Amino acid sequence: MPSNPSMSAAIVAAAESDKIGYIEEGTTALNLHIEAIRNVCAEAGVSPSEIDGVFSTNNSNLLAEYLGIHPKYIDTTAVGGCSFQMHVHHAMAAINAGIIDLAVVSHGEAGYSSRKNQGKGTLGGGGGDPWLPAAQFGGGPYGAWGPPSYYAHALTRHMHQYGSTKEDFANIAVVTREWAGLNPRAVMHSKETNPRGGPITVEDVLESRMIVWPLNILDICLVTDHGGAVLISSAEKARSFKTSPVWIAGAGESQSHADMLEMDDFTATSAHASSQAAYRMAGMGPGDMEMAMIYDSFTVTAGITAEMLGLTARGEGPSLWADGNASPGGKLPVNTNGGGLSFSHSGMYGMMLLVEAYRQLSGTAEDGVHGIEGKQTNAQSAVVNGTGGLLSVTGTLVLTSDV
Amino acid sequence: MPSNPSMSAAIVAAAESDKIGYIEEGTTALNLHIEAIRNVCAEAGVSPSEIDGVFSTNNSNLLAEYLGLHPKYIDTTAVGGCSFQMHVHHAMAAINAGIIDLAVVSHGEAGYSARKNKGNGTLRGGAGDPWLPAAQFGGGPYGNWGAPSNYAHALTRHMHQYGSTKEDFANIAVVTREWATLNPRAVMHSKETHPVGGPITVQDVLDSRMIVWPLNLLDICLVTDHGGAVLISSAEKARSFKTGPVWIAGAGENQSHQDMLEMDDYTATSALASSESAYRMAGMGPGDMEMAMIYDSFTVTAGITAEMLGLAPRGGGPSLWADGNASPGGKFPVNTNGGGLSFSHSGMYGMMLLIEAYRQLSGTAEDGVHGIAGKQTNAQSAVVNGTGGSLSVTGTLVLTADV
Amino acid sequence: MAEYNKSIPSPDPYVTQPFWDGAKEGKLMLPRCTTCNRAHWYPRILCPHCHSSNIEWFEASGEGFIHTYAVQNRAFGGWADETPYATAYIDLKEGDRMFTALRGVNAEDPTSIKIGARVKIEFEQASEDVFVPYWRVVD
Repeated sequence: MPSNPSMSAAIVAAAESDKIGYIEEGTTALNLHIEAIRNVCAEAGVSPSEIDGVFSTNNSNLLAEYLGIHPKYIDTTAVGGCSFQMHVHHAMAAINAGIIDLAVVSHGEAGYSSRKNQGKGTLGGGGGDPWLPAAQFGGGPYGAWGPPSYYAHALTRHMHQYGSTKEDFANIAVVTREWAGLNPRAVMHSKETNPRGGPITVEDVLESRMIVWPLNILDICLVTDHGGAVLISSAEKARSFKTSPVWIAGAGESQSHADMLEMDDFTATSAHASSQAAYRMAGMGPGDMEMAMIYDSFTVTAGITAEMLGLTARGEGPSLWADGNASPGGKLPVNTNGGGLSFSHSGMYGMMLLVEAYRQLSGTAEDGVHGIEGKQTNAQSAVVNGTGGLLSVTGTLVLTSDV
Repeated sequence: MPSNPSMSAAIVAAAESDKIGYIEEGTTALNLHIEAIRNVCAEAGVSPSEIDGVFSTNNSNLLAEYLGLHPKYIDTTAVGGCSFQMHVHHAMAAINAGIIDLAVVSHGEAGYSARKNKGNGTLRGGAGDPWLPAAQFGGGPYGNWGAPSNYAHALTRHMHQYGSTKEDFANIAVVTREWATLNPRAVMHSKETHPVGGPITVQDVLDSRMIVWPLNLLDICLVTDHGGAVLISSAEKARSFKTGPVWIAGAGENQSHQDMLEMDDYTATSALASSESAYRMAGMGPGDMEMAMIYDSFTVTAGITAEMLGLAPRGGGPSLWADGNASPGGKFPVNTNGGGLSFSHSGMYGMMLLIEAYRQLSGTAEDGVHGIAGKQTNAQSAVVNGTGGSLSVTGTLVLTADV
Repeated sequence: MAEYNKSIPSPDPYVTQPFWDGAKEGKLMLPRCTTCNRAHWYPRILCPHCHSSNIEWFEASGEGFIHTYAVQNRAFGGWADETPYATAYIDLKEGDRMFTALRGVNAEDPTSIKIGARVKIEFEQASEDVFVPYWRVVD
């Protein structure tokens, strides 16, 4: 039974930016945020590094990056001026669940100064603010146009640091395509579903069009249309539906940066931290996992994540897919839907991970409705990791079948 | 002690949109979302109306509005493709806290069709998507330029339905200005801080420039620069800071619509539902509150909210400010900082509510640092309500002093 | 000045202006915290290492090393004319890292570019007020 979270948390300090009102010399929303956070920490007598939950409208990851902190709970709920009341509500639930101990709810808005600055410095426009640090010093001035422009740098570094090869990573695409071969709904299922569909080899990957060296097009996910949804129920009611429950044994989230400019180690992501939180909550470890759904925006994303999840040694992520182990019939199936690389990927792929993990663990991966044969495994547990942004943010779940 | 939320929730169903992949006939992100939600509910054998928590990247309130739902937990966290893993984590915490029983996490993205539709129908770019229902049928085609264009309709209806008058609502601005004169940091503190600062009368409000009838300029909040932050701690550590704790006794959130086109009752908001959740969690009622911080984007927002919070009878919201009751020295202080109307308001005002409530209940509303004398009350409990969008979304908190 | 046909960054007058002023004079100006003595990038109003607000600007050596790189084969606008070209994250001699497009490399042969190669900063005028930093391999 859930406990009433009343009184499980308290507001312990409040502060504003250095100035408020009509700031004649002008300012930016980001500066107002940071001044307020600096001031509230000073009032309370804490360092920003003690904060483990960040809540703001839209910009929580940017704030975490700016401050050099790595929160365990990130909420960017933005529903208008009342969002801050939601943030307190959400923080209370996160604290009550023992996920975090100290949350900051932050606000910064240059409502007045934005007019004289022609909308610059407002943190608005979904990344379009020209005064964003990333807009001044990141990829924009150097022609970066999308995730491939950035992710390529991680593969270059991994090869340098660990002696891995393009062939190692290409094999991830090859194995993932095997699963697509069992999934008639996968875009790359066969030559009938797509001219470039059907099985591929490592050579095929290496010879495919070079997009951003060292990433060839077959190292890169699709761009499709996709909708998906999951329902999540309290434990009390979880067996009252037509469909079966798949238990959320553990969950965790974290981040390392917002823009790749601030990425410390190009061969690592916060999936290490988020999976540790998930494993700990579940009381399980990587060795208990019977399958994995690993975000594969790129072969390099999946390869690095395998290391972060503790499924392989550091520097050896691609080995998870070697020797048929991750393939149909293998001992640790990975990305059984055919992945973002070969099944479907609309821009954000995390929902597809959830849908496939649910289907595998509920025994509905071959459901007749969709005429799928062959991709059902007998896994009873799964680690599911999503990676967002530019290898920036991760969320990890440990799911278990209802037994 | 927080309990481990492991296994407190389960994924009970998963589904996709009707089609996925390269949808040659084209589609929109919103359609993909709704198809997926329809399909997942059908699979589980539930009606969408049973959903009480909505999680998506950016669009949870639009989805709730489209489906006619009124969720108790709204999360729009968007940090890239892994957001859905965060959503599951956040939903688990909300379920564990007993706030909700059935959450939907939804995804809809026209990654492929976006290109041929030149970016229309993507739900990206905030409210700028020209195929949004509100963009086709709401205020845009009719010249609406901002919140005042919308909120005015609520005041017209309230006067019709309840026989209230502009004078009744103008008095809210008059009383709120009284508090501003006790707050040297308020924009409208005095003629020294602002040419039109200092005390005002009902006649002043009615004589001020007409913006959108029936809203005069003095019925409308300021537009300033503002930054603010609060720290929230677990109960265990709440007394370990330089500053004192103010307890979160209760919290709740809800919504009635996204665009005013979908507002059922122009004299009511979801503050009724969100405050009921907050009071219930706290085990308290409106009669136990000793002060209130009520979002005053407009006099009509505050007036209606007073009714929704149970502080005044239906149709009699402005009476909360009558007879000096809400004024300095009155029995039920309201908006003791001078409000969005006279203190500061940057576009989103919810943070300012939190900061003032914290200061009042921690006895730091006159903190010497800012040289403020006279606005400290002896309230030990406060109801704090934020209203966002176009009277669309609300979050309510019940806070109590540390005694 | 030949017309600069690529997207030009907008200096933020409140925090980053000292960098852009230095760029106009061909100097790499970096922010440094006087409490913990560490430089940081991008510029901030407090130190991301120790969170002190005591920030000063100093003229840095303009030297660094390639930390990692990629070769952009596909680009848009003015950058389309430059493909293939290499982008890189540079380890600054004074600490922390910047992002750039590389000069003095053969982008047609990606493996000829070396992680760890020494680079020096140079500035290219993009507009009257904005000089964009690039890094050239000097080894």
